[in-house]
Amino acid sequence: MAKIASKSDEQRDAEANVEGFEEKLGPFVVAAETTRMAMVFADARQLGNPIIFANDSFLSLTGYDRKEILAQNFNFLMAHVADAEALARIKAEFESGSDCGAEVLYRRKDGSEFWSDVFISPVRNKNGDVVQYFASFVDLTRHKEALTQSRMLIDELNHRVKNTLATVQSIVWQALRTNSNPIAIRSAIESRLLALSLSHDLLTRENWKSAGLLDVVHNALAPFGVAGGRADRITIKGENIRFPPQAALALGIAFNELATNAMKYGSLSNEKGSVLIEWKTAPTPEGDRLILHWRERDGPQVKLPSHRGFGSRVIERGLAHELQGTAHLDYRPDGLVCAINIPTPLGALDG
Amino acid sequence: MLIIMMIESMLTDLGCESVTTAATVVQATALIDGQAFDAAMLDVNLNGTNSRPVADALAARGVPFFFSTGNGNHHSMEGYGDRAILRKPFMYQDLAATLTGLLPR
Repeated sequence: MAKIASKSDEQRDAEANVEGFEEKLGPFVVAAETTRMAMVFADARQLGNPIIFANDSFLSLTGYDRKEILAQNFNFLMAHVADAEALARIKAEFESGSDCGAEVLYRRKDGSEFWSDVFISPVRNKNGDVVQYFASFVDLTRHKEALTQSRMLIDELNHRVKNTLATVQSIVWQALRTNSNPIAIRSAIESRLLALSLSHDLLTRENWKSAGLLDVVHNALAPFGVAGGRADRITIKGENIRFPPQAALALGIAFNELATNAMKYGSLSNEKGSVLIEWKTAPTPEGDRLILHWRERDGPQVKLPSHRGFGSRVIERGLAHELQGTAHLDYRPDGLVCAINIPTPLGALDG
Repeated sequence: MLIIMMIESMLTDLGCESVTTAATVVQATALIDGQAFDAAMLDVNLNGTNSRPVADALAARGVPFFFSTGNGNHHSMEGYGDRAILRKPFMYQDLAATLTGLLPR
Protein backbone atom coordinates (compact mmCIF):
# COMPACT_ATOMS: atom_id res chain seq x y z
CA MET A 1 0.00 0.00 0.00
CA ALA A 2 1.32 3.46 -0.88
CA LYS A 3 2.68 5.55 1.93
CA ILE A 4 1.46 9.04 2.67
CA ALA A 5 3.56 11.84 4.08
CA SER A 6 1.56 12.79 7.13
CA LYS A 7 -0.47 10.09 8.69
CA SER A 8 -2.33 10.07 11.92
CA ASP A 9 -1.88 7.19 14.30
CA GLU A 10 -5.45 6.18 13.72
CA GLN A 11 -4.90 6.00 10.05
CA ARG A 12 -1.80 3.95 10.51
CA ASP A 13 -3.85 1.62 12.66
CA ALA A 14 -6.55 1.44 10.05
CA GLU A 15 -4.07 0.61 7.33
CA ALA A 16 -2.52 -1.96 9.57
CA ASN A 17 -6.01 -3.38 9.87
CA VAL A 18 -6.26 -3.70 6.10
CA GLU A 19 -2.80 -5.21 5.98
CA GLY A 20 -3.99 -7.53 8.72
CA PHE A 21 -6.85 -8.60 6.44
CA GLU A 22 -4.38 -9.28 3.71
CA GLU A 23 -2.51 -11.71 5.87
CA LYS A 24 -5.56 -13.44 7.21
CA LEU A 25 -7.79 -13.29 4.15
CA GLY A 26 -5.30 -13.47 1.28
CA PRO A 27 -7.55 -14.67 -1.55
CA PHE A 28 -10.36 -12.31 -0.55
CA VAL A 29 -8.08 -9.31 -0.58
CA VAL A 30 -6.79 -10.31 -4.01
CA ALA A 31 -10.40 -10.56 -5.12
CA ALA A 32 -11.20 -7.10 -3.75
CA GLU A 33 -8.14 -5.67 -5.43
CA THR A 34 -8.82 -7.17 -8.81
CA THR A 35 -12.61 -7.29 -9.11
CA ARG A 36 -14.09 -5.06 -11.79
CA MET A 37 -16.36 -3.49 -9.20
CA ALA A 38 -14.84 -0.28 -7.82
CA MET A 39 -14.38 -0.56 -4.03
CA VAL A 40 -12.89 1.38 -1.15
CA PHE A 41 -12.53 0.95 2.59
CA ALA A 42 -13.04 4.04 4.72
CA ASP A 43 -12.03 4.66 8.32
CA ALA A 44 -15.13 4.75 10.49
CA ARG A 45 -13.40 6.29 13.46
CA GLN A 46 -12.31 9.52 11.87
CA LEU A 47 -14.30 12.53 10.80
CA GLY A 48 -15.01 12.46 7.10
CA ASN A 49 -14.39 8.70 6.90
CA PRO A 50 -11.05 8.95 5.09
CA ILE A 51 -10.30 6.31 2.48
CA ILE A 52 -7.76 3.72 3.59
CA PHE A 53 -7.97 1.28 0.72
CA ALA A 54 -8.96 1.65 -2.93
CA ASN A 55 -8.89 -1.13 -5.49
CA ASP A 56 -7.68 -0.89 -9.09
CA SER A 57 -11.20 -0.60 -10.52
CA PHE A 58 -11.85 2.40 -8.32
CA LEU A 59 -8.68 4.01 -9.64
CA SER A 60 -9.61 3.38 -13.25
CA LEU A 61 -13.17 4.58 -12.64
CA THR A 62 -12.00 7.86 -11.13
CA GLY A 63 -8.72 8.39 -12.97
CA TYR A 64 -6.73 9.04 -9.78
CA ASP A 65 -3.53 7.38 -8.56
CA ARG A 66 -3.76 5.45 -5.35
CA LYS A 67 -1.65 7.96 -3.46
CA GLU A 68 -4.05 10.75 -4.44
CA ILE A 69 -7.00 8.80 -3.06
CA LEU A 70 -5.73 7.51 0.23
CA ALA A 71 -6.43 9.65 3.31
CA GLN A 72 -8.92 11.76 1.39
CA ASN A 73 -12.35 12.20 2.88
CA PHE A 74 -14.87 9.70 1.59
CA ASN A 75 -16.88 12.41 -0.17
CA PHE A 76 -14.00 14.21 -1.85
CA LEU A 77 -15.00 12.96 -5.31
CA MET A 78 -18.51 14.33 -5.16
CA ALA A 79 -19.16 16.64 -8.10
CA HIS A 80 -21.20 19.00 -5.94
CA VAL A 81 -19.87 18.82 -2.41
CA ALA A 82 -22.63 21.12 -1.15
CA ASP A 83 -25.43 19.05 -2.64
CA ALA A 84 -27.44 18.58 0.55
CA GLU A 85 -29.70 15.92 -0.91
CA ALA A 86 -26.78 13.82 -2.11
CA LEU A 87 -25.05 14.24 1.25
CA ALA A 88 -28.20 13.08 2.98
CA ARG A 89 -28.40 10.04 0.69
CA ILE A 90 -24.78 9.12 1.49
CA LYS A 91 -25.31 9.71 5.20
CA ALA A 92 -28.34 7.45 5.19
CA GLU A 93 -26.35 4.83 3.30
CA PHE A 94 -23.60 5.04 5.95
CA GLU A 95 -26.08 4.76 8.76
CA SER A 96 -28.22 1.93 7.58
CA GLY A 97 -27.18 0.75 4.16
CA SER A 98 -29.83 -0.13 1.63
CA ASP A 99 -30.53 -2.58 -1.10
CA CYS A 100 -30.45 0.00 -3.81
CA GLY A 101 -27.54 2.16 -2.67
CA ALA A 102 -27.26 5.92 -2.91
CA GLU A 103 -27.12 7.59 -6.31
CA VAL A 104 -24.39 10.22 -6.38
CA LEU A 105 -22.76 12.36 -9.06
CA TYR A 106 -18.97 12.08 -8.88
CA ARG A 107 -16.17 13.92 -10.65
CA ARG A 108 -13.14 12.19 -12.12
CA LYS A 109 -9.65 13.61 -11.96
CA ASP A 110 -10.02 14.90 -15.53
CA GLY A 111 -13.13 16.86 -14.51
CA SER A 112 -15.66 14.61 -16.25
CA GLU A 113 -18.64 13.56 -14.19
CA PHE A 114 -20.39 10.24 -13.72
CA TRP A 115 -23.35 8.97 -11.79
CA SER A 116 -22.72 6.05 -9.51
CA ASP A 117 -24.64 3.96 -7.07
CA VAL A 118 -22.76 3.69 -3.78
CA PHE A 119 -23.34 0.71 -1.51
CA ILE A 120 -21.89 1.02 2.00
CA SER A 121 -21.56 -1.72 4.62
CA PRO A 122 -20.07 -1.34 8.09
CA VAL A 123 -17.10 -3.50 9.14
CA ARG A 124 -17.23 -4.28 12.87
CA ASN A 125 -14.56 -5.41 15.28
CA LYS A 126 -14.98 -8.19 17.82
CA ASN A 127 -16.78 -5.82 20.20
CA GLY A 128 -19.29 -4.93 17.57
CA ASP A 129 -17.96 -1.42 17.04
CA VAL A 130 -17.92 -0.09 13.52
CA VAL A 131 -14.28 0.38 12.66
CA GLN A 132 -14.41 0.69 8.91
CA TYR A 133 -16.83 1.08 6.09
CA PHE A 134 -16.69 -0.96 2.94
CA ALA A 135 -18.07 0.90 -0.09
CA SER A 136 -18.63 -0.36 -3.60
CA PHE A 137 -19.51 1.76 -6.63
CA VAL A 138 -21.63 0.87 -9.63
CA ASP A 139 -21.00 3.22 -12.53
CA LEU A 140 -24.40 4.34 -13.85
CA THR A 141 -23.11 6.07 -17.00
CA ARG A 142 -24.43 3.42 -19.39
CA HIS A 143 -27.64 3.07 -17.45
CA LYS A 144 -28.20 6.85 -17.60
CA GLU A 145 -27.40 6.91 -21.32
CA ALA A 146 -29.85 4.09 -21.90
CA LEU A 147 -32.51 5.97 -19.93
CA THR A 148 -31.94 9.14 -21.95
CA GLN A 149 -32.06 7.15 -25.16
CA SER A 150 -35.24 5.41 -24.13
CA ARG A 151 -36.83 8.74 -23.12
CA MET A 152 -35.98 10.13 -26.55
CA LEU A 153 -37.40 7.09 -28.28
CA ILE A 154 -40.61 7.33 -26.29
CA ASP A 155 -40.95 11.03 -27.14
CA GLU A 156 -40.29 10.31 -30.79
CA LEU A 157 -42.76 7.44 -30.77
CA ASN A 158 -45.39 9.65 -29.17
CA HIS A 159 -44.77 12.33 -31.78
CA ARG A 160 -45.11 9.79 -34.56
CA VAL A 161 -48.26 8.25 -33.11
CA LYS A 162 -49.89 11.67 -32.78
CA ASN A 163 -49.03 12.51 -36.37
CA THR A 164 -50.31 9.14 -37.50
CA LEU A 165 -53.57 9.72 -35.63
CA ALA A 166 -53.91 13.08 -37.35
CA THR A 167 -53.22 11.36 -40.67
CA VAL A 168 -55.96 8.84 -39.92
CA GLN A 169 -58.22 11.75 -39.01
CA SER A 170 -57.42 13.26 -42.41
CA ILE A 171 -58.22 9.98 -44.19
CA VAL A 172 -61.59 9.78 -42.45
CA TRP A 173 -62.32 13.45 -43.02
CA GLN A 174 -61.56 13.23 -46.74
CA ALA A 175 -63.54 10.01 -47.16
CA LEU A 176 -66.59 11.63 -45.59
CA ARG A 177 -66.23 14.76 -47.69
CA THR A 178 -66.00 12.96 -51.02
CA ASN A 179 -68.44 10.06 -50.58
CA SER A 180 -71.99 9.74 -49.39
CA ASN A 181 -72.36 6.00 -49.75
CA PRO A 182 -71.33 4.22 -46.51
CA ILE A 183 -69.73 1.34 -48.42
CA ALA A 184 -67.65 3.74 -50.50
CA ILE A 185 -66.66 5.60 -47.33
CA ARG A 186 -65.61 2.39 -45.62
CA SER A 187 -63.64 1.19 -48.60
CA ALA A 188 -61.89 4.56 -49.05
CA ILE A 189 -60.86 4.56 -45.39
CA GLU A 190 -59.75 0.92 -45.38
CA SER A 191 -57.72 1.17 -48.56
CA ARG A 192 -55.83 4.25 -47.35
CA LEU A 193 -55.24 2.87 -43.86
CA LEU A 194 -53.84 -0.28 -45.44
CA ALA A 195 -51.54 1.81 -47.66
CA LEU A 196 -50.38 3.78 -44.63
CA SER A 197 -49.79 0.59 -42.70
CA LEU A 198 -47.75 -0.94 -45.52
CA SER A 199 -45.60 2.19 -45.70
CA HIS A 200 -45.03 1.96 -41.95
CA ASP A 201 -43.94 -1.66 -42.34
CA LEU A 202 -41.46 -0.71 -45.03
CA LEU A 203 -40.03 2.18 -42.99
CA THR A 204 -39.84 0.02 -39.88
CA ARG A 205 -37.77 -2.52 -41.81
CA GLU A 206 -35.45 0.37 -42.71
CA ASN A 207 -35.32 1.63 -39.07
CA TRP A 208 -37.22 4.76 -40.13
CA LYS A 209 -34.09 6.19 -41.73
CA SER A 210 -35.20 6.18 -45.36
CA ALA A 211 -36.81 3.95 -47.96
CA GLY A 212 -35.86 3.17 -51.54
CA LEU A 213 -38.28 4.27 -54.27
CA LEU A 214 -38.28 0.82 -55.86
CA ASP A 215 -39.30 -0.68 -52.51
CA VAL A 216 -41.90 2.06 -51.95
CA VAL A 217 -43.53 1.37 -55.32
CA HIS A 218 -43.44 -2.42 -54.95
CA ASN A 219 -44.79 -2.11 -51.44
CA ALA A 220 -47.65 0.21 -52.41
CA LEU A 221 -48.66 -1.92 -55.39
CA ALA A 222 -48.43 -5.27 -53.61
CA PRO A 223 -52.15 -5.36 -52.70
CA PHE A 224 -53.05 -4.69 -56.35
CA GLY A 225 -50.42 -6.67 -58.23
CA VAL A 226 -49.29 -9.70 -56.32
CA ALA A 227 -52.35 -10.11 -54.10
CA GLY A 228 -54.73 -8.95 -56.84
CA GLY A 229 -53.35 -11.37 -59.47
CA ARG A 230 -52.14 -8.56 -61.71
CA ALA A 231 -48.41 -8.77 -61.02
CA ASP A 232 -47.57 -9.48 -64.70
CA ARG A 233 -49.49 -6.39 -65.79
CA ILE A 234 -47.46 -4.00 -63.67
CA THR A 235 -43.92 -3.13 -64.75
CA ILE A 236 -41.63 -1.15 -62.46
CA LYS A 237 -38.29 0.19 -63.72
CA GLY A 238 -35.94 2.46 -61.86
CA GLU A 239 -33.20 2.72 -59.32
CA ASN A 240 -33.83 2.29 -55.63
CA ILE A 241 -33.37 5.99 -54.93
CA ARG A 242 -33.70 6.65 -51.22
CA PHE A 243 -36.20 9.08 -49.74
CA PRO A 244 -36.56 10.29 -46.16
CA PRO A 245 -39.47 8.83 -44.17
CA GLN A 246 -42.02 11.63 -44.70
CA ALA A 247 -41.40 11.66 -48.45
CA ALA A 248 -41.56 7.86 -48.60
CA LEU A 249 -44.92 7.91 -46.77
CA ALA A 250 -46.26 10.52 -49.20
CA LEU A 251 -45.09 8.51 -52.22
CA GLY A 252 -46.65 5.34 -50.79
CA ILE A 253 -49.99 7.09 -50.40
CA ALA A 254 -49.76 8.60 -53.90
CA PHE A 255 -49.06 5.23 -55.54
CA ASN A 256 -51.95 3.71 -53.63
CA GLU A 257 -54.24 6.41 -55.06
CA LEU A 258 -52.96 5.81 -58.60
CA ALA A 259 -53.39 2.06 -58.30
CA THR A 260 -56.85 2.40 -56.75
CA ASN A 261 -57.90 4.62 -59.63
CA ALA A 262 -56.42 2.19 -62.19
CA MET A 263 -58.35 -0.68 -60.58
CA LYS A 264 -61.64 1.22 -60.59
CA TYR A 265 -61.50 3.07 -63.88
CA GLY A 266 -58.13 2.61 -65.56
CA SER A 267 -55.99 -0.03 -67.16
CA LEU A 268 -56.26 -2.48 -64.25
CA SER A 269 -60.07 -2.43 -64.46
CA ASN A 270 -60.25 -4.70 -67.52
CA GLU A 271 -58.57 -7.98 -68.45
CA LYS A 272 -55.71 -6.77 -70.63
CA GLY A 273 -54.55 -3.33 -69.52
CA SER A 274 -51.17 -2.67 -67.98
CA VAL A 275 -49.20 -0.06 -66.08
CA LEU A 276 -45.61 0.96 -66.68
CA ILE A 277 -43.91 2.85 -63.87
CA GLU A 278 -40.52 4.19 -64.86
CA TRP A 279 -38.16 6.79 -63.51
CA LYS A 280 -34.74 8.24 -64.06
CA THR A 281 -32.68 11.08 -62.71
CA ALA A 282 -31.61 14.03 -64.80
CA PRO A 283 -29.02 16.65 -63.86
CA THR A 284 -30.08 20.29 -64.00
CA PRO A 285 -28.28 23.48 -62.94
CA GLU A 286 -30.41 23.46 -59.76
CA GLY A 287 -29.43 19.89 -58.90
CA ASP A 288 -30.56 16.44 -59.92
CA ARG A 289 -34.24 15.91 -60.68
CA LEU A 290 -36.13 12.69 -60.48
CA ILE A 291 -38.58 12.26 -63.34
CA LEU A 292 -41.15 9.55 -62.91
CA HIS A 293 -43.95 8.46 -65.22
CA TRP A 294 -46.92 6.27 -64.44
CA ARG A 295 -48.32 5.18 -67.80
CA GLU A 296 -51.48 3.16 -68.26
CA ARG A 297 -52.29 1.41 -71.53
CA ASP A 298 -54.87 -0.95 -73.03
CA GLY A 299 -57.42 0.07 -70.47
CA PRO A 300 -60.92 1.34 -71.23
CA GLN A 301 -61.00 4.67 -73.02
CA VAL A 302 -60.21 7.41 -70.50
CA LYS A 303 -62.75 10.13 -69.85
CA LEU A 304 -61.79 13.37 -68.16
CA PRO A 305 -63.30 13.14 -64.67
CA SER A 306 -66.15 15.53 -63.99
CA HIS A 307 -64.54 16.67 -60.75
CA ARG A 308 -61.18 16.26 -59.12
CA GLY A 309 -61.37 13.63 -56.43
CA PHE A 310 -59.26 13.19 -53.36
CA GLY A 311 -56.80 10.95 -55.21
CA SER A 312 -55.95 13.56 -57.80
CA ARG A 313 -55.63 16.25 -55.13
CA VAL A 314 -53.29 13.99 -53.15
CA ILE A 315 -51.03 13.68 -56.18
CA GLU A 316 -51.23 17.10 -57.78
CA ARG A 317 -51.30 19.15 -54.57
CA GLY A 318 -50.23 16.96 -51.68
CA LEU A 319 -47.36 15.06 -53.24
CA ALA A 320 -46.10 18.07 -55.21
CA HIS A 321 -46.12 20.11 -52.01
CA GLU A 322 -44.51 17.44 -49.85
CA LEU A 323 -41.74 16.70 -52.34
CA GLN A 324 -41.32 20.29 -53.46
CA GLY A 325 -41.81 19.48 -57.12
CA THR A 326 -44.59 18.99 -59.63
CA ALA A 327 -47.02 16.17 -60.25
CA HIS A 328 -49.53 16.17 -63.12
CA LEU A 329 -52.27 13.83 -64.13
CA ASP A 330 -52.84 13.68 -67.86
CA TYR A 331 -56.12 11.96 -68.74
CA ARG A 332 -55.14 10.81 -72.22
CA PRO A 333 -57.84 8.84 -74.03
CA ASP A 334 -55.52 5.82 -74.46
CA GLY A 335 -54.40 5.80 -70.85
CA LEU A 336 -53.77 7.96 -67.83
CA VAL A 337 -50.26 9.37 -67.48
CA CYS A 338 -48.99 10.74 -64.20
CA ALA A 339 -45.75 12.74 -64.50
CA ILE A 340 -43.83 13.52 -61.34
CA ASN A 341 -40.81 15.82 -61.37
CA ILE A 342 -39.10 16.31 -58.01
CA PRO A 343 -35.65 17.08 -56.67
CA THR A 344 -33.59 13.93 -56.13
CA PRO A 345 -33.00 13.64 -52.40
CA LEU A 346 -29.41 14.26 -51.29
CA GLY A 347 -27.42 11.10 -50.78
CA ALA A 348 -30.20 9.26 -52.51
CA LEU A 349 -28.46 6.37 -54.21
CA ASP A 350 -28.88 3.03 -52.58
CA GLY A 351 -25.54 1.95 -51.35
CA MET B 1 -49.05 15.44 -46.49
CA LEU B 2 -52.52 14.15 -45.65
CA ILE B 3 -52.62 16.24 -42.49
CA ILE B 4 -51.92 19.45 -44.35
CA MET B 5 -54.55 18.59 -46.94
CA MET B 6 -57.09 18.12 -44.16
CA ILE B 7 -56.12 21.43 -42.59
CA GLU B 8 -56.53 23.13 -45.97
CA SER B 9 -59.99 21.62 -46.30
CA MET B 10 -60.90 22.66 -42.77
CA LEU B 11 -59.70 26.22 -43.31
CA THR B 12 -61.60 26.43 -46.59
CA ASP B 13 -64.72 25.18 -44.82
CA LEU B 14 -64.16 27.85 -42.19
CA GLY B 15 -64.33 30.45 -44.92
CA CYS B 16 -60.65 31.27 -45.38
CA GLU B 17 -60.39 32.74 -48.87
CA SER B 18 -56.75 32.03 -49.50
CA VAL B 19 -54.74 29.25 -47.88
CA THR B 20 -51.04 28.87 -48.61
CA THR B 21 -48.89 26.06 -47.25
CA ALA B 22 -45.17 25.51 -46.87
CA ALA B 23 -43.43 22.23 -46.12
CA THR B 24 -40.04 23.55 -45.02
CA VAL B 25 -38.55 26.43 -43.04
CA VAL B 26 -36.99 27.84 -46.24
CA GLN B 27 -40.31 27.78 -48.13
CA ALA B 28 -42.16 29.27 -45.20
CA THR B 29 -39.78 32.18 -44.62
CA ALA B 30 -39.74 32.93 -48.37
CA LEU B 31 -43.56 33.03 -48.37
CA ILE B 32 -43.64 35.32 -45.35
CA ASP B 33 -41.20 37.66 -47.09
CA GLY B 34 -43.28 37.65 -50.26
CA GLN B 35 -46.85 38.27 -49.12
CA ALA B 36 -49.00 39.51 -46.26
CA PHE B 37 -50.87 36.97 -44.13
CA ASP B 38 -53.80 37.55 -41.79
CA ALA B 39 -52.87 34.60 -39.61
CA ALA B 40 -50.65 31.55 -39.58
CA MET B 41 -50.65 28.06 -38.14
CA LEU B 42 -47.12 26.80 -37.54
CA ASP B 43 -46.03 23.25 -36.89
CA VAL B 44 -43.23 23.16 -34.34
CA ASN B 45 -41.39 20.74 -36.59
CA LEU B 46 -41.16 21.30 -40.34
CA ASN B 47 -39.73 18.37 -42.27
CA GLY B 48 -37.56 17.41 -39.30
CA THR B 49 -36.40 20.97 -38.54
CA ASN B 50 -37.43 23.15 -35.64
CA SER B 51 -39.55 25.96 -37.04
CA ARG B 52 -38.26 28.74 -34.77
CA PRO B 53 -36.99 30.86 -37.72
CA VAL B 54 -40.53 30.86 -39.11
CA ALA B 55 -41.95 31.92 -35.73
CA ASP B 56 -39.38 34.72 -35.61
CA ALA B 57 -40.26 35.84 -39.14
CA LEU B 58 -43.98 35.85 -38.36
CA ALA B 59 -43.44 37.71 -35.07
CA ALA B 60 -41.19 40.28 -36.78
CA ARG B 61 -43.99 41.09 -39.25
CA GLY B 62 -46.70 41.07 -36.63
CA VAL B 63 -48.55 38.15 -38.22
CA PRO B 64 -50.67 36.52 -35.51
CA PHE B 65 -49.98 32.80 -35.32
CA PHE B 66 -50.45 29.68 -33.24
CA PHE B 67 -48.55 26.42 -33.03
CA SER B 68 -49.55 22.91 -33.87
CA THR B 69 -47.58 19.94 -32.66
CA GLY B 70 -47.69 16.19 -32.44
CA ASN B 71 -45.81 16.39 -29.19
CA GLY B 72 -48.18 16.06 -26.27
CA ASN B 73 -45.74 16.66 -23.44
CA HIS B 74 -43.44 19.59 -23.27
CA HIS B 75 -43.89 23.09 -24.36
CA SER B 76 -43.28 24.20 -27.90
CA MET B 77 -40.80 27.02 -28.17
CA GLU B 78 -38.99 29.31 -25.77
CA GLY B 79 -40.06 32.92 -26.04
CA TYR B 80 -43.43 31.99 -27.52
CA GLY B 81 -44.97 30.52 -24.39
CA ASP B 82 -48.03 32.76 -24.69
CA ARG B 83 -49.00 31.43 -28.12
CA ALA B 84 -51.85 28.99 -28.44
CA ILE B 85 -50.96 25.38 -29.20
CA LEU B 86 -53.17 22.97 -31.10
CA ARG B 87 -52.10 19.41 -30.43
CA LYS B 88 -52.53 16.86 -33.18
CA PRO B 89 -54.95 15.28 -33.70
CA PHE B 90 -57.34 18.16 -33.08
CA MET B 91 -61.04 18.89 -33.43
CA TYR B 92 -62.38 21.04 -36.23
CA GLN B 93 -64.07 23.20 -33.59
CA ASP B 94 -60.77 23.73 -31.78
CA LEU B 95 -59.07 24.82 -34.99
CA ALA B 96 -61.95 27.24 -35.59
CA ALA B 97 -61.79 28.62 -32.05
CA THR B 98 -57.99 28.98 -32.04
CA LEU B 99 -57.94 30.71 -35.39
CA THR B 100 -60.82 33.00 -34.47
CA GLY B 101 -58.96 33.92 -31.30
CA LEU B 102 -56.12 35.31 -33.40
CA LEU B 103 -58.20 37.50 -35.69
CA PRO B 104 -59.56 40.97 -34.93
CA ARG B 105 -63.27 40.91 -34.16
